Amino acid sequence: MTSPAIKAENLSYSYGEIEAVRDVSFEVLPGEILGFLGPNGAGKSTTIKMLTGLLPPKGGHAEILGERLGRDNSGIQAQIGVCFEEKNLYLDMSAIENLDFHASLFGIKNPGSMDILRRMGLADRAKDRVESFSKGMRQRMMIARAFINKPKVLFLDEPTSALDPVTSAQIRETIKAEAGRGAAVLLTTHDMFEADQLSDRVAFINEGKIVALDSAENLKLEHGQRSVRIRLRNGDGVREEHIPLGDDGSAAKIAELASSPDLMTIHTEEATLEAIFIKLTGRGLA
Amino acid sequence: MKPAVSRLDIIGALLKKELIAYSRNRLYLFLTLLTLVLVVVMFWVMPDTVDETITLAVSPPVETILAEGREALLAMGASEEQLAALTEANIAEAQDGVILLEFETEAALVEAIEAQEDVSIGIAFPETFVRDVATGADGVSVTIYSAAAIPDELQRAVKSFVREAAYQIAGKPLPITLPAAETIVLGEDRVGEQISIRDKIVPMLAFMMLLMEAFSMASLISVEMLRRTVTAVLVTPARIADVLIAKATFSTGLAFAQVAIVLGLVGAFTAENWWLLMMAIVIGAMTFTGVAMIAGAGGKDFLGQMFYTMMLTVPLIIPTFSVLFPGTAALWIQVIPTYPVLSALVDITVYQAGWTDVWGSLALGTGWAAVLFLAGWFVLSRKVRSL
Repeated sequence: MTSPAIKAENLSYSYGEIEAVRDVSFEVLPGEILGFLGPNGAGKSTTIKMLTGLLPPKGGHAEILGERLGRDNSGIQAQIGVCFEEKNLYLDMSAIENLDFHASLFGIKNPGSMDILRRMGLADRAKDRVESFSKGMRQRMMIARAFINKPKVLFLDEPTSALDPVTSAQIRETIKAEAGRGAAVLLTTHDMFEADQLSDRVAFINEGKIVALDSAENLKLEHGQRSVRIRLRNGDGVREEHIPLGDDGSAAKIAELASSPDLMTIHTEEATLEAIFIKLTGRGLA
Repeated sequence: MKPAVSRLDIIGALLKKELIAYSRNRLYLFLTLLTLVLVVVMFWVMPDTVDETITLAVSPPVETILAEGREALLAMGASEEQLAALTEANIAEAQDGVILLEFETEAALVEAIEAQEDVSIGIAFPETFVRDVATGADGVSVTIYSAAAIPDELQRAVKSFVREAAYQIAGKPLPITLPAAETIVLGEDRVGEQISIRDKIVPMLAFMMLLMEAFSMASLISVEMLRRTVTAVLVTPARIADVLIAKATFSTGLAFAQVAIVLGLVGAFTAENWWLLMMAIVIGAMTFTGVAMIAGAGGKDFLGQMFYTMMLTVPLIIPTFSVLFPGTAALWIQVIPTYPVLSALVDITVYQAGWTDVWGSLALGTGWAAVLFLAGWFVLSRKVRSL
């Protein structure tokens, strides 16, 4: 049986009286992408800070690659890559200087920074200062920096937040490739589409607690309602029928409408992760 | 699990990054170069000689006093030696560097001093001064008029001048009570070998460079905190201590190098004092590094950081002014953390002091530097943890 690359057991953290994370437990296997889905302030970033050694947990404990996080985490930190939500790059330094500097903190002499920049579509801007980069380019730099040490564990905090669809798609492909080479990925997002596309499993986190943890398919099966949407001509207008699947008589109803001369389109529908999140928590992801 | 990188390599990488960040900031570079040039220019344009002449008002004219004195002494049956002594006591010629401006009356003298056109201090003798002194009369009164801006030591010098004149006439001192001699901490009695302004400002120039570097470093630290770039460093094998060591080393090294360059350019180093001067600069650089760490951690934005830096550094440069204004530094100035190191710098560069003269100041300065450095370390590490 494969050992988890990330293991959190009853992790808790509070800022004064405010409980940011409460008894959070989960595991991420090598090569797996776990999507942490929750609204702003749900506790996603605090969980990442604890797992990367920036914050000592106030309750519970965590293991990365079988090593327990404690006072000196430099050994663990040598194996991880982190992409923060905040674009904390050295703006006065060039793209390649940023990557080379970060690599030198891991003791990597020839990090292949140009190859990584090429992969991220930034090779032609390698010698430009990061301060001249657009938001999307900076985000790609953040991802590139997180990959510089070929980490076994990746923590990506909102990696595609507020980016254009093309850049987002590029970044998602890169994340999939990292998981493909065996890296465990913990991805926080409040974009249900991204979580659905990328994640092998999804954890819903709300008010510091995990309220559901499973694959997106299982969550939809367990908490959602599949249905068929049929659109029919109705005089000059359009009539829509939503027929839940699995109900008694639903097959006969679908057959009847499908044979109607007014039939326009038939679509199967499944619950979205956002709808399930709202159902479970009573609030949206925004 | 151990990282494949040594602490030394990490600190080296952080130092390299500090150097790149510093060299890329045009504002710091400009200000540093500007200060460097300005302080050196300031040194060379300052006068390197001291005007030792004093214009002194006297009433009545010296010849009037002496003529009356001769008559009185002759009437008293004075000998030839006593008359010769009176001639020698011609105060107009007896004192080097004194230009006498004679007035017929005391009122005219007072008016001239009040106007402060040609003279700011003067002596009103009684016309019977010589007679009174020679006969040992009680209550011989000489009035010294001085403009408010005249420093106390010059007033004391004029009193001494009067006493000297009386001594030459009567062969005994006048009962003029002079204030008790004060210890001038940043100076000594250098009659005939006064220190020029150019030499006096050398320690001040060193402090200006340290101050400039404190501003630059505080700003660099602040930017790192505000942009949270330090957080990205702390999820690698680098520890908070590595970050702080690199920042402190870079800041101290930079301040030290620049002050050393300035002092080198103004010719402050000698074969005898170079190592003492180096020690004093290192202590000063560490002191201001501590201040930069506190200020850099304090501000929530650029203006906030500037405010903290000003609040912390302005009191620290107060002792430098005591160099320009001779006299005992007030007790409250002496307890300012930068006073001991400034005192050592003054003693080394201005008075060519040796180890036995300055070790006390250097030890005290080291103590203050350690306190500020540790305070800076503590404040900055707390700030980093809170990000």
